[in-house]
Amino acid sequence: MTALLDILIGGVFHAAVLFLVAAGLQLVFGVQKIVNLACGSFYALGAYFGITAVSWCLAHGMPPGLFLPVLVVAGLAIGLIGPFIEALLLTVYHRDEAFQLLLTFALVLMFQDILRFFWGADPQQLGDLVMTYGRVKMGAVQVPTYNLLVIVASIAIAVGLGAFLKKTRYGRILRATAENREMSLALGVNVRWMYASVFTLGTILGTVGGALVVPTAAASLDMPVELVVEAFAVVVIGGLGSMRGAMVGALIVGLMRAAAISWYSELEMLAIYLVVIVVLIARPGGLFGKPLE
Amino acid sequence: MDQKRRKLLQAIGGTGVMAAAQPWMSAPAFAQNTPVRVGIIAPKAGIAGTIGECGLRGTQFAVDHINATGGIAGRKIELLIEEETNPKDSIERLRKLVLQDKVDCVQGIVSSGVSLAMGPVAEDMKALVIFWDGTTQDGVKETMPSKRYVFCSTDNECEAVMGSLLAIKHWKGQFKTVAGINPDYSYGRNNFAAFQALLKKYNVEHQVVADQWPKVGTTDLNSHVAALKAAKPDLVFSSLLFADLPIFMRTAHGAGLMDGKTKFVFPAAGFQHTALKKSFTPPGMIFGHNTLYFDYAKGSDLQKQFVKWYHDKFNDYPNWEADRAFFAMAVYKAGVEAAHKAKGGWPGKEDIISAMEGVKVQSLGGPGQMRKDHIAEQTFYQGITTHDNKYDFPTLGTVDVMYSDQLQKGTGQDFWKWIETANIKL
Amino acid sequence: MRAAPAILSIVALVALAALPSLLTQYQITLVLPALAYAIALLGFNLLFGYTGLLSFGHALFVSIGAYGTAVLTSKLGLKSFEAILLLCAVASVAVAIPIALLSVRYVKIFFGILTLAFGMLFHSFLFKFYNITGGDTGIRVLRPTLLGRAYEDLDKTAFLVGPFYYYCVVLLAILGFVMWRLVHSPFGLHLVATRENRRKSEYLGVRVRFFRLIAFAVSAFYCAVGGAILAVNTGQADPELAYWTHSGELVFMTVLGGFANFFGPVVGAFSFIFLKSELMGLTQYWRFWLGAILVILVVLFPRGLAGLFAQLWARLHRSTPT
Repeated sequence: MTALLDILIGGVFHAAVLFLVAAGLQLVFGVQKIVNLACGSFYALGAYFGITAVSWCLAHGMPPGLFLPVLVVAGLAIGLIGPFIEALLLTVYHRDEAFQLLLTFALVLMFQDILRFFWGADPQQLGDLVMTYGRVKMGAVQVPTYNLLVIVASIAIAVGLGAFLKKTRYGRILRATAENREMSLALGVNVRWMYASVFTLGTILGTVGGALVVPTAAASLDMPVELVVEAFAVVVIGGLGSMRGAMVGALIVGLMRAAAISWYSELEMLAIYLVVIVVLIARPGGLFGKPLE
Repeated sequence: MDQKRRKLLQAIGGTGVMAAAQPWMSAPAFAQNTPVRVGIIAPKAGIAGTIGECGLRGTQFAVDHINATGGIAGRKIELLIEEETNPKDSIERLRKLVLQDKVDCVQGIVSSGVSLAMGPVAEDMKALVIFWDGTTQDGVKETMPSKRYVFCSTDNECEAVMGSLLAIKHWKGQFKTVAGINPDYSYGRNNFAAFQALLKKYNVEHQVVADQWPKVGTTDLNSHVAALKAAKPDLVFSSLLFADLPIFMRTAHGAGLMDGKTKFVFPAAGFQHTALKKSFTPPGMIFGHNTLYFDYAKGSDLQKQFVKWYHDKFNDYPNWEADRAFFAMAVYKAGVEAAHKAKGGWPGKEDIISAMEGVKVQSLGGPGQMRKDHIAEQTFYQGITTHDNKYDFPTLGTVDVMYSDQLQKGTGQDFWKWIETANIKL
Repeated sequence: MRAAPAILSIVALVALAALPSLLTQYQITLVLPALAYAIALLGFNLLFGYTGLLSFGHALFVSIGAYGTAVLTSKLGLKSFEAILLLCAVASVAVAIPIALLSVRYVKIFFGILTLAFGMLFHSFLFKFYNITGGDTGIRVLRPTLLGRAYEDLDKTAFLVGPFYYYCVVLLAILGFVMWRLVHSPFGLHLVATRENRRKSEYLGVRVRFFRLIAFAVSAFYCAVGGAILAVNTGQADPELAYWTHSGELVFMTVLGGFANFFGPVVGAFSFIFLKSELMGLTQYWRFWLGAILVILVVLFPRGLAGLFAQLWARLHRSTPT
């Protein structure tokens, strides 16, 4: 039983981080119909910048216990490169989707070296900081408190995002623009501004996700390309454009991966791709999305 | 480095064409003033980046000293450094060094995957290559059965064999269930298989309750650790050795796996030793430093000099890759100088190869030699970790020293048969 | 057939055949991958340029060609390169058909993601099933015989830059010719029609899905041949060949050359290999510059090099008074 709980928590933790990146992807796709291959790059950027921010603060005498808020702020801060990237994407909005995909792929390539230029080629870690908040013991189950905090943070962001989209004016306009861009334009919505802000929001979700995961793992140059596939799996399973889909998809992918690792580790990623393929065939819109064609 | 190489290429462009037209034995008078060109292929980025870097520093140390004391038989060494990445691209780098830059020797390579792919290519090109590391059994048997131009390091399984022997020696009877978490490639696979083969040989009753194979480069090991914990092993064998090792340590510590009830064997942890801080790396683990243990009290003067140089220059302590790199250069130098003396002039490639076979050298980590079958013999260091030191990471409290002739198969033997039949001392 | 493309092709082929006497051995070992990719991309562009379907998983078929060659030469002892090419291509088509059946229902983004998923599925299989596929090391590729001849007296490099090189140039010529006939046939026109306007094509009686399937299968065929050549060149088939970024490079090359032009993919293959090699020699941040070049391509020169050239050619012709 405790074994199951351990595995479950591991899976949920992974899902929590995946959700943040997937939510960013969903927002951007929902409104701008762009699938951002560079979402993994933002994730890695958040991770690296998070390490820099925390190391800097610690060197200037910050008590270690504050590193979690520092990470969140770091993630938010670096996410503000969003508008600049979006301006670049602007040039291909009216073109074929293939070009949008290609442009984001170009960003993946460029970011790999940008990260290498600023942070070097070796994986970076935050040493033992993750243990600052201690461990939580529930019987034989032991998990660093930090992991639970991240799960809670992710849920909070999910709830907040949901409320934001449903209750605020901005949120409603966002959903309207996602539904029907022409109509929104006709109704006087400043679509340009909407696109820029949504993309930035998506970027921030990615960078915060990366920043949050880095204490338990490491920031490495492989992150951008590795994460993209998992994030896509989440988004496809959940349904392109759906927030609920991002949450459910992330849980499915996270738990499946944890289960596969425990029982038949050869299947680790294979299982996830198989599920993606099955979902795309059986229910092309994903679990919560709208089927296309 | 790239600019230097380009200028080099432009300068040598002419001689390159000339050299291509000549047979390998160049006229002594012409060769005397030109440097000996050694190509180095080592990882500079990613998961093995720090390891490649340490190796390069070892090479630099060797070259600085050799050049300061007259070079190799009077010629200075010049290094051309390329990056080791995946097998395909690394082979291309080899081709470039051999065909375009026309180096006299190539040294390097950390990853088994790359060495196994590169070996046959080097043999085909008749290129003199000395591998720093990376020779796992199954592949070597298939790809390099009889090496003529390629020289290999000690079998990759030496550390696994030694770690397993120490585990049996110290803990026989104290563990029943074992688990493994090893990197998912030839090295990890063979290490764990060797461990199990040795347990079987010494009739250690055991049951494998979990085996994890995280992909090299995985940064999230939470689920793997959870799976290990769930299996409740008495002993965990892990040949993790890249940047994923500190991540594993931290995660395992966070999950309570390091709270004393489980024994750990880490044959190759020395690669990451300075990153494994005391706060999450407990004492009492079997820990391997392969061919260089920087803090060995009985280390040679050469080793102590190197460790001091390394610490003063880089504010860090070296891992064994520096020794592998030094060893490769030392073997090459010894071979060339012996052949030079015998011939009375600059030796050709075949002469150098013959001279290298059987040559004995003093490496940073202790005595070593190159066997006639082109496999190295070196001294290995493993022991049990302690926190009783002046560093923020554990070192070895008790050190076991074994020469590789007790840890690897003899010439022409099959590794798995050797484990079964050889008289390996505990 | 119009004169210009025929003349162009012949000039190009002659130039390729002359290269071994002009370049060093090392440089020729770089041209070989370009030949391999040229063939693979001719097939890829049938799907992308002519049918309008962007696949982010075609590295899968390239790796089938590579691994097929590896298994056949080192595990099954089959050395005839002709037989190897045929078997790999057939295997590739066999894998392509079910994937195509599942994927051609979708267009645009779903097609891209679905193909990416299939590609990564294969990559996972290659990587994880160590006992079958050799895991991250992959499988060794032994030297095949060309038209029955083994060329034992030549060492690997001499073999590659000699008989093998010419063999591949001829392969490129033959497969290029076949592709030319294909895209100028009614089949080719049908593909273009489905790309331009699917509804209308269906209305006119074109079986859209069926044609897409054929295009997909043909592209898999060509990619496998390219993969086989790559495998012989490096001597090893490894799983990174199937990674999604390799698929991305295939797209990059095609767009670089120009997907709207028949010769674009070939131009793209050579330019990319040359570009990448030069950049790698100049700086360690070559990925950044490659990405930047792709950005410039997509934003300013979507028709690629071939498109640029065609524009210049047209302008030159317009300015000459008739």
